[in-house]
Amino acid sequence: MISAVQDYEAVKTAVKTAASAHGEPQWFVDRRLAAIDAMQDLPLPEMKRYDFHRWPLMDNMTLTFRDSDKHLADHLPKADNQIRFVQVGQTTVAVNLPDELAAQGVILTDIFSAFREHSDLTKKYFMEKVTKYNENKLTAYQQAFLNSGIFLYVPKGVVIKQPIEAFLIQDSTVKQAMVSHVLIIAEEDSQLSFIQHLTTEGDVANAAHCMVEVMSGANSHVHFSSVDELGEQTYSFLHRRANLSRNARFDWAIGIVNDQNTLGDITSELIGEGSHSESKVIAVTTGKQSNGINNRVVNRGKHTTANISQRGVLLEKSELVFNGIGDIIHGASGANAEQENRVLMMSNQAHGDANPILLIDEDDVIAGHAASVGQVDQNQLYYLMSRGIDKKLAQRLVIRGFLGAVLDEIPLPEVRQEMIDMIERKLEDGQHFE
Amino acid sequence: MATLEVKDLHVEIKEEKDQTREILKGVNLTMNTGEIHAIMGPNGTGKSTLSQTIMGNSAYHVTKGDILLNGESILGMPVDERARKGLFLAMQYPAEIQGVTNAEFLRAAINSRRPEDDQISVMDFLKELDKNLSLLDMSEEMTERYLNEGFSGGEKKRNEILQLLMIKPTFALLDEIDSGLDIDALQVVSKGVNSMRGDNFGSLIITHYQRLLNYIVPDVVHVMMDGRIVKSGDADLAKKLESEGYAGLRDELGLDVDLVDDNR
Repeated sequence: MISAVQDYEAVKTAVKTAASAHGEPQWFVDRRLAAIDAMQDLPLPEMKRYDFHRWPLMDNMTLTFRDSDKHLADHLPKADNQIRFVQVGQTTVAVNLPDELAAQGVILTDIFSAFREHSDLTKKYFMEKVTKYNENKLTAYQQAFLNSGIFLYVPKGVVIKQPIEAFLIQDSTVKQAMVSHVLIIAEEDSQLSFIQHLTTEGDVANAAHCMVEVMSGANSHVHFSSVDELGEQTYSFLHRRANLSRNARFDWAIGIVNDQNTLGDITSELIGEGSHSESKVIAVTTGKQSNGINNRVVNRGKHTTANISQRGVLLEKSELVFNGIGDIIHGASGANAEQENRVLMMSNQAHGDANPILLIDEDDVIAGHAASVGQVDQNQLYYLMSRGIDKKLAQRLVIRGFLGAVLDEIPLPEVRQEMIDMIERKLEDGQHFE
Repeated sequence: MATLEVKDLHVEIKEEKDQTREILKGVNLTMNTGEIHAIMGPNGTGKSTLSQTIMGNSAYHVTKGDILLNGESILGMPVDERARKGLFLAMQYPAEIQGVTNAEFLRAAINSRRPEDDQISVMDFLKELDKNLSLLDMSEEMTERYLNEGFSGGEKKRNEILQLLMIKPTFALLDEIDSGLDIDALQVVSKGVNSMRGDNFGSLIITHYQRLLNYIVPDVVHVMMDGRIVKSGDADLAKKLESEGYAGLRDELGLDVDLVDDNR
């Protein structure tokens, strides 16, 4: 990371002024300042076999608030009956929560309103329980320069059948880092599925820090999907973590098809006994971009189950590193952790890696891994082409089959289809330049 | 009328340590639409090599000779272009492709032959599909399964014929379409091929056994040995082979050919 020597006192003064003018409660302004202090000595997050130190992730050390053009969200499909949250840059365009859910105590709002109006919850949970602000330089940056985000609270026993869709549109019509936070608290026995869409409007070079923290209560059932399509001028850091309580079930289904370098850090912390997490990630890289993705599951509680399944496709001169990290803590007897990391190379100039990393400090466990780096199956390609299908379509069909192992297990059909469409677009782009 | 000509075709494959081996040693063959040709011969004589080379499998290198479709050489064409020109190969070992349904694949194959602004409509496609499924005694459920994935040997062969009926090529090469089929499946597959017979369709059937030719009666039978066609005749030639074996024909022709598989 190019780290220009900063006058941290001057940065703090500026942040304090901006945050106060923004009407933020004093406790949060204080946290920002503490984070700036902590940032100075903290290291960058650890990413095995992957180097991102020179990426311009933190070249914007200012906090500014501005209104974005709401029309940048006009392209979104109309859906009046959807539970929906739309944010363009820092501007919340729509919050659509049915009255009956609000009456049951469900909260869906932008993160700064939540700091003011639900400070008991946000003060307790925001970067305190799931991800701590002082874990590394980027988590501290997140707290110091946060400028957008969502807060979702689902009370005990509330079951939301319809998926909640969040559209977070990065406004890159101006120079402004996106520092966004999704904080989800799912109380005991609650159920929900959340679908996040990340996109970019405009072509100004900006970083995007998109953090997700999920607190899954006992016996809760939470499904989190993300469709990541950030722009060509956006270096991104995607930090996503869930804490699972007793018998909670939490799943990730993530499709990463950003057009610029991406650092992904996805973690499931299985703390409560009997909790279960499935972590599924698909990534497609093209051009000269580089993606490094940590997918980590930590079995802390007894009889916890945590599986990782990752599939990546590389085109042109791109790079993709999948680290599957299975961490079984001493005392997590009866834990089960399986992982599979596979990458498919569509070009001999691409560089792909799939690293299973197992850290096991308990005897009574079941753990396994499979990893592969392979080329497209020539026999499959020949078969499809022998029916008249041209090479590019044949390649895309073979790739779809390769990704199918992960795609098939995405439970929401609309998310599955969206991911298929988005992957097709990305593959067509990549093939265009071959 | 369309014509497929194979002229003095020599083909080799690469083996280990950069060694090459010549498999076809000068094959000559001319077939027209409206005709069914059968190629018979012992194992390892190059029958499958001939069909794969005509289709354009890059593992087979043509060192001499030519393949002409309606007078035009197809040697420089990639496999998908040859397919769109009207060639079809029912494969001995069809690939399995996860994540792509049979129906989706069939539509893509049909549409690859049609201009982009005139793709087949869903209704027309389904109508044609239903007709052919019932002809081949296949269930609709087969079309929603992933392409050949988890299909039994017999299901794969039926699926090859389903593709043949849907794509309607000018020339179909059927490579041991009878292998691994029981008698009922053999009849179904034969019914499918026979339904294609007509002035605008030609087929080259590769088989070890005469049995298939009881169901699909050929106009011409060729016998291949050691990379060449050594004898051609009518349907009776196949019956004669069935009773006398390949060794009898070899000796009759005075050929110095090894017929033991393991020695090839």
